[in-house]
Amino acid sequence: MTGPDTRSHFVVAIDRDLLAAFRAWPLWVMLGWNDVRQRYRRSTLGPFWITLSMAIFISLLGVIYSKLFNIEIRTYLPYLTVGYIIWGFISQTTNESSNAFQDGERIIRQIRLPYSIFVLRVVWRNFIVFLHTIVIFVPVALIFDVKFGFVSLLALPGFALIYVNQLWVTLVLAIVCTRYRDLQQIVTTTVQILMFVTPIMWPITALGESTFVADINPLYHMIDLVRAPMLGQAPSHLSWMVAIGFACIGWTIAILLLCRATRRLIFWL
Amino acid sequence: MAAIALKDVSVQIPIYDIGSASLRKAILRKTVGGRFAQSGSHVLVDALQNISFEAHDGDRIALVGNNGSGKSTLLRLLSDVYPPTTGTVRVEGSVSPMFDATLGMSMDATGIENIWICGSIWGLSPAQIKNSLDDIGEFTELGHYLNVPVRTYSTGMMLRLAFAIATVRDPEILLLDEIVGVGDASFFEKAFNRLQGIIRRSQILFLASHADGILRKVCNKAIWLEHGRLVQYGEFEDVIAAYRSVNTLQPPA
Repeated sequence: MTGPDTRSHFVVAIDRDLLAAFRAWPLWVMLGWNDVRQRYRRSTLGPFWITLSMAIFISLLGVIYSKLFNIEIRTYLPYLTVGYIIWGFISQTTNESSNAFQDGERIIRQIRLPYSIFVLRVVWRNFIVFLHTIVIFVPVALIFDVKFGFVSLLALPGFALIYVNQLWVTLVLAIVCTRYRDLQQIVTTTVQILMFVTPIMWPITALGESTFVADINPLYHMIDLVRAPMLGQAPSHLSWMVAIGFACIGWTIAILLLCRATRRLIFWL
Repeated sequence: MAAIALKDVSVQIPIYDIGSASLRKAILRKTVGGRFAQSGSHVLVDALQNISFEAHDGDRIALVGNNGSGKSTLLRLLSDVYPPTTGTVRVEGSVSPMFDATLGMSMDATGIENIWICGSIWGLSPAQIKNSLDDIGEFTELGHYLNVPVRTYSTGMMLRLAFAIATVRDPEILLLDEIVGVGDASFFEKAFNRLQGIIRRSQILFLASHADGILRKVCNKAIWLEHGRLVQYGEFEDVIAAYRSVNTLQPPA
């Protein structure tokens, strides 16, 4: 700690909060791990409970929906698996964003830590859970003989872009949901609706002529950045551009919001 | 070298009731043209008003005043949890607050795991935590209990562990809010000795308490707050004498 900071709110928010939070990575890495362990401490399967329930959900839905959409199961099931696992990460993290600061309230009221630490913690702990669920894809890929190639490596930068986007979404929601407590319900409902309007459980071909419904949906592009490579195809240029653009716009909003919130957030808790 | 200088500092705390924490109400206020502005907008509480003082190395400052006089707000201001509404706060040196020693305890984690978790929250480095393991084990007398989940502990055992972890730090500026009893009477003696250890290691201490006995053992200066205003700041005995001449009711030490 030093004397009064003469720099603008903007610089202070970025340097003293956002960057400081990244620098304090051992803390949120530990808090995130502890959250996961805490949640599954007394169960024998641990976080693999989610893996199990997701596996059951995917196999049942896979069988029924492949009939419904009249697609071969060997095409549909790998598609559903990847899409649904990524969606699991996005939806769960988004839902938990509302409580990011409330969960850390006792710490925030006592020690001055960068607020963004609690944002990084939420995304990180859901990433740990994501790593537990992605294993479902291994047997699926083996059984249905998914064709991997060099193009599959694109899934890594693709996921990195999802992560970068998820960080700003969580930061924004964490701030506004702390100020306006009734927003949490709206977030939950919105996430539910998004699952149905985004091509996750249904293939984009089911849209027929109206593929614009997917094209205008940033979530479709984001998910496809990982899903397409995992199924052996390169994602479209449009998807990359939408995801990068979404990140730029989102982070601008998030940082502006953080500037406004850093001096008031403590009073909203 | 640690130093603190407050100049004309005020802290206003907005209190948001259920209404103003609601987005629906906020939109209504905007669209209905301020008709609900009175009932829905937040109330401002003047928690601290025009506080100015300086503190330097070796100052052991007692914070006295009735409940709600602003002691905790001042501690939160110094720890940078609360921003000043007006005025300037200059703090040189690392600040270590200890308002609630049990901060960060995970009931389902073991004692050892909690040392790592709480230690990190208190800002200890992995090396510091590692070096303190033996010391904490010895002080808490928990032995093998350190390897079982904290939820199986008695309240006293848990407090001992939390207290032991919170007092590992080497603070330049230490902020304490009320020293709570740690377990039974015989243990309190030991805990108090440990607390004096961390106080000795600190350069500046702020201690808010109602117990004159404890304050007298530790402090050499005092700040008397009343309704968010600084009434008197000076030598410990002078301030306490003045404070007690007005507030004769003294709770048991």
